[in-house]
Amino acid sequence: MTVKQTAGPERAEAPEPQAAPRRTGRPTHRLQRYGPAYAMLLPFAVLFIVFLVYPLIRSFYYSLTDFNGIKAPEFVGFQNFTELFLHDDRFHKAIWNTVKYVLASVVLTIALGLVLAIAFKSTSLRDRVMRTIFFLPSVSAGVGVILVWRWIFMVDSWGLGNTVVRFFGGENKAWLADPAVSIPVLVTMAVWGGAGYAMVLFVAGINAIPDELYEQASIDGASKARQFWHITLPLLRPVLVFVIITSTIGAFQIFEPVYLLWRRSASIVGGPLDSALTIVPYLYDMGFNRFQLGYASAIAWVLFLIIFLVTLVQLRVTKTFKEFE
Amino acid sequence: MSVKTLASAGTVTKRPPSLTRRLNLAAELARIPLYLWALVVLIPFWWMIIAAFKTVPELMKNPPTFYPQNPSLDSFYDPNAAGIGDDPTPDSVPGVFQRWEDVAGGFLRFAANTFGITVVVTVLSLLIASLAAYMLTKTAAPGRRIVFVTIISSMMIPWQVSLIPNYLLTSDLHMTDSYLGYIIPGLAKAFVVFFLVQYLRSIPDDLVHAARVDGASEWRIWWQIILPLLRPALAAMAIFVALGEWNNFLWPLIIIRTDELMNLPMALSSLNNAIVSSPGSMGVAMAASLLATLPTVVFFFLFQKHFIKGIALSGIKA
Repeated sequence: MTVKQTAGPERAEAPEPQAAPRRTGRPTHRLQRYGPAYAMLLPFAVLFIVFLVYPLIRSFYYSLTDFNGIKAPEFVGFQNFTELFLHDDRFHKAIWNTVKYVLASVVLTIALGLVLAIAFKSTSLRDRVMRTIFFLPSVSAGVGVILVWRWIFMVDSWGLGNTVVRFFGGENKAWLADPAVSIPVLVTMAVWGGAGYAMVLFVAGINAIPDELYEQASIDGASKARQFWHITLPLLRPVLVFVIITSTIGAFQIFEPVYLLWRRSASIVGGPLDSALTIVPYLYDMGFNRFQLGYASAIAWVLFLIIFLVTLVQLRVTKTFKEFE
Repeated sequence: MSVKTLASAGTVTKRPPSLTRRLNLAAELARIPLYLWALVVLIPFWWMIIAAFKTVPELMKNPPTFYPQNPSLDSFYDPNAAGIGDDPTPDSVPGVFQRWEDVAGGFLRFAANTFGITVVVTVLSLLIASLAAYMLTKTAAPGRRIVFVTIISSMMIPWQVSLIPNYLLTSDLHMTDSYLGYIIPGLAKAFVVFFLVQYLRSIPDDLVHAARVDGASEWRIWWQIILPLLRPALAAMAIFVALGEWNNFLWPLIIIRTDELMNLPMALSSLNNAIVSSPGSMGVAMAASLLATLPTVVFFFLFQKHFIKGIALSGIKA
């Protein structure tokens, strides 16, 4: 917005504590005065409380119970959590798979997104066309695209994956039956689908950096690499942090590809030898195939805690970097 | 490295033109792997499109063909396909529009479901979020701050945490297997409120105050002043919400049981189950995927500017 904000006495902004209500009268007056305001919040507030806050509390309660959805929940304390952390090998596998997937997909997506943004950031026709191509997977993300990947990674020799492998002199591979390639397949799909999205954010961030900074640096004789390191990266930091955090959170919640790529029968989730089992598919399996709702709620809370901690660490780390500069 | 900055760098430091040209060439060579990546990005789309127009024997040809040799619409509608009970013929399977015979409209019904639900969810969630955002930024009602902080903190919670209680809640309310149960639990979107609040903060309060002095009610200010001002932000959020809803899968998977109420992702998922027993249905699955993906791609090309602006905005404001 180009219009300068006026700081009049009547300025009211939510997050500023000093923006106190102008006139405070008796409660009835206040209600009269702010009645419409509260009424406007009401629809959102009701839905928010009923379908977000209340389920959250209920989910925490269930996580402390043994509950199959039919009999009343039976309180068992932290037993679900001790079971998860100490004895549940499938859960350990799910955590480990998820961590591998998140690390690989986030690092590769962001690296590629950054390279694409630097290479194709201008408004020339070529750059716009290229950006459109790279962004296409982000708009078509969905079940349809996952089916295409399943089709590409067919075990049969006419699958595109196998055709390409044979072209380079390799042997037919049973992609979706080989535990060793499950995570690489998921990462490939994630980078294919996510790099263009990261690129768009980076392009916006890079183009917001004033040209004068680069001109000044060139006059001072700074190389392109130094300019990138000392101008582009530091000024891109807020966007970078945003992309890293949102894509990490998103990656932890992967479900559809795992559920659809390896689907053979209704009750099996997780691919060969659980090599593709991640947290949310495991939650789904426990909750909606086996109806262990208490246990599944505990998994949901562990997911929440992991995401919470990882976000905190990422914020902390990026802050430390800032202090270095 | 971009051509533009390289060129401007050349003029600033008065480099000889040959050096600039050589630098350009190097930058161009460095881009080659990225052009190859562009090809990789496009191939799955191409593979989906050609598979949708191949015949069953051609689908299973080795090596595969890279364009349909005798393009056919069999995957959409195959006149030779065996009906239920007949002996299945190996070379023809029922097309997209011949499946789900127990559902009136078949595949079109799922498309209509998806479209209707996407529109309803997008419109309603944006309306209630914009009301909340207006209340949080442009009125002085006590308690706004705590409400705003609560909404922001909720964004950290993965929505799967509320999955099981919400399933039980909708079933307590007798709303499973209905449009209501599908739509209502997902209407309060914290991210949209957060985004609209950020946007509204950059709009001066003078207009609102002037309208209040003139005696306009809060509702009228919201409808006649705030909503028009919010238009770019609403467009950005509408795209986000609509795209997410078009592809919504886990929630309907859990609460929808009747075929009539399925959305496109669920229909695709049931085709995904079908290809396990009959690989010849892959063409049908690709045809359905094409039909389900095409609208979002067309939508993207129509509103490309809004898409890009919206995403960029979300990254910068957040």
